[in-house]
Amino acid sequence: MPPVPRRRVVGAAVLALVSAVAVATPLMVAAAPTVSVEQLTEALTCQCGCGLTVANCNHPNCEFSVPVRDQIDSMVKRGMSGPQVIAFYRTKYGEKILSAPTTQGFNLLAWIMPFAALAAGAALIAITVGRWRGSSPAPAPAPAEGANGASHDPFDAELRRRLERELRDRI
Amino acid sequence: MPLIGQLALALALVLACYSIVANVIGARAGVPTLITSARHALWAMSAMVTVAVGVMWASLLHSDFSLEYVASYTSYSLPTVYKITALWGGQQGSLMFWTWLLSIFTAIVAFQNRRRNADSAPYALAVLAGLAVFFLYMLNFVTRPFDLLAAIPADGQDLNPLLQNYWMAIHPPSLYTGYVSASVPFAFGAASLITGRTDDSWIRSTRRWAIFSWFFLTLGNLFGARWAYEVLGWGGYWAWDPVENAAFMPWLVMTAYLHSVMIQERKDMLKVWNLVLIGMAFALTLFGTFITRSGVISSVHSFTQSGLGPYFLTFLIAVVVLYTGLLLMRVKSLRTPAEFESYLSREAAFLFNNLILVGIAFAVFWGTLFPVLSEAVRGIKITVGPPFFNKVNAPLALALVFLMGVGPLIAWRRSSLDSLAKTFASPAIFALATGLCTFLAGLRQWYVLTALSLAAFVIGTIVVEFRRGVSARRHLVHETPVVALANLVAKNNRRYGGYIIHVGVVLAFVGIVASSFFRTEVKKSVKEGESFQVGPYDLEYLGIDTTETAHLESSRARVEVRRAGRPIAMMEPAKLFYKQPQQPATAVAIRSTPASDLYVVLAGIDDQTGLVTFQVFLTPLVFWLWAGGFIMAFGTVVAMWPNVRERAAIAAAVRVAVPAGAEPVPGGD
Repeated sequence: MPPVPRRRVVGAAVLALVSAVAVATPLMVAAAPTVSVEQLTEALTCQCGCGLTVANCNHPNCEFSVPVRDQIDSMVKRGMSGPQVIAFYRTKYGEKILSAPTTQGFNLLAWIMPFAALAAGAALIAITVGRWRGSSPAPAPAPAEGANGASHDPFDAELRRRLERELRDRI
Repeated sequence: MPLIGQLALALALVLACYSIVANVIGARAGVPTLITSARHALWAMSAMVTVAVGVMWASLLHSDFSLEYVASYTSYSLPTVYKITALWGGQQGSLMFWTWLLSIFTAIVAFQNRRRNADSAPYALAVLAGLAVFFLYMLNFVTRPFDLLAAIPADGQDLNPLLQNYWMAIHPPSLYTGYVSASVPFAFGAASLITGRTDDSWIRSTRRWAIFSWFFLTLGNLFGARWAYEVLGWGGYWAWDPVENAAFMPWLVMTAYLHSVMIQERKDMLKVWNLVLIGMAFALTLFGTFITRSGVISSVHSFTQSGLGPYFLTFLIAVVVLYTGLLLMRVKSLRTPAEFESYLSREAAFLFNNLILVGIAFAVFWGTLFPVLSEAVRGIKITVGPPFFNKVNAPLALALVFLMGVGPLIAWRRSSLDSLAKTFASPAIFALATGLCTFLAGLRQWYVLTALSLAAFVIGTIVVEFRRGVSARRHLVHETPVVALANLVAKNNRRYGGYIIHVGVVLAFVGIVASSFFRTEVKKSVKEGESFQVGPYDLEYLGIDTTETAHLESSRARVEVRRAGRPIAMMEPAKLFYKQPQQPATAVAIRSTPASDLYVVLAGIDDQTGLVTFQVFLTPLVFWLWAGGFIMAFGTVVAMWPNVRERAAIAAAVRVAVPAGAEPVPGGD
């Protein structure tokens, strides 16, 4: 790997620092990240018909989500764990109250399929590329990428002059 | 009047049917006059649908409650702007609006191709006319917009209050435009399969239509998210609702398509895949409509559920089967010798970009349909909500952002590790330093750190690419940096428009990550004159103003926002009560800055105790989601801007058997 110019390193680091401060400050000001009560209310679907989670139900005086949020808050304060809270509601309302499929039995399929499809897609790409490489002629010398994917390979002087002339005509 | 509308729709159906027959026979038998006649029929069809839409708008504006549709979705007191938008507020109207857009786009395509694409245009127009026939059949026989009521009511039932919002006025038209315009590249793709002309002329001819569709799908999704943010009052903008998902999937597949066609244009590869992608994108637009109309999956956005599901499902299946059949018929001739040298190449980056985009689309599709599957298999209808979609898509989003940084800078054919190191050194250092700095600033969530580092990486690669282009121009044509930058973008607008879009995507991504991980919520009941704190802000409740119009009652709270003791804003969240549908609604107050959004909801008013309850969200960086969206839109306009050199290339690609005496028309679409 060729040495990276020092000026470039310093420039990138300063830029990174400025961007990081600009991004991180509002995040830190916005206080603590997701608390467990919010995670739990996010894990349950509101039963008022809004179609959203208990955390996100958009009915300010919802008869379901408002008391459930308060109930979960007091459960957590009483020391109940997350799984216990979820189990409580699951027993009471059935599986439909969970906002995501469980990871057991048939529901496991929900979680596996997207990644299985992705793996199948990757395998298909690998097979197809393998065929392409097998059928394509011997590769020419590799060009090195530069601006706009242009080559950095050493040209002879005449070729470079011609390239520049043509570029000038085009741009 | 209504009779004129219904008659216009009937004539439009006849004209669309005629156009299919005339186009197909004309093309097969080589009868140019028949093809010309078919084109005229399509223009007439478009005029007829325009007449029908005009009649409906006139009826809506004049509150003609003899029409069932007008009585169902408007009232005398409904503001004029919502009488206009009521066209897409109900089922029949929105289907007619869809048909209208389709007829206009078809007329434009007929005009654009009157002297070019002589072999494929008749078939493409026949496909578009075929789509129009389905929608016109629905409007004539299944869900008629001009049905009359036996007894005229004194007033209408009014538009759903949730739809009486600025963003809802522009969200459906944007989304529909995106959906419907996707049918143009689809039609030309199908035409290329029918004619057996399997080069990339169909892609070049419809490239601008594809970007146009993507542009409006982007805006449609963005406006929908903004509508949810402002109207639903839960402080969020995306709930992975089935209807939201249905709008998101075509966008994902269309994004994959726009990247993938670059490989075909450049290297004549992926012909089958591009045809699959455009077929998939179009089918997903129909699937979206099926989801919205059928009520098969419950959704917060389904305002017009009906019994149309079976019709749409049948049509969707027919389209998929026919298109797949055509594709299988031509698959042999579509296979061309491909040149692929290395995984360290732009081709590979684009292939993986496609894999991830289609992978996300599949995950969303799967999660959306899984409740139906579960009910069919186990008899239990479960919910698949945000936790599922977030968990599944979060790692894929990171991979996509990474590829967004790699793709544009890596060379075609192959790259050496040395050249990769040289190209990506600065962006990689920038990314690592950003990750480190944010870690030192106190952030500890690995996902956030990775996301911000990758965002920095992509921005770094784009800056490097712009810097290289500018210095190349300065060196070659001795321009000043500003002029060099302007000319760089102007002369390579497709490429640099794409980079601007990437900047927008990254900013939106940062906004999404920050707002998902760091939202603060405070719920507080206070009396007049009392204050409470949310993050760095003090909010003082000053009182309530009540107003009443013929249309609604409004109770608007005045909340003074102070920071460090200094007043910075007066916010006025409100509770509304619509009189005609007798329905309450919430009007949130939002103070948006690049750092964070302060979002105040008036959650409740207790007249007895004088207590007023506020629900307040402090969401960091969500501003950048919207800003990023508009930068994406701006970048798309740059990429779509007509480019003389490109128009010449398109003209060369699509120049075929021009009818005698006709002048070939240069240019794209």
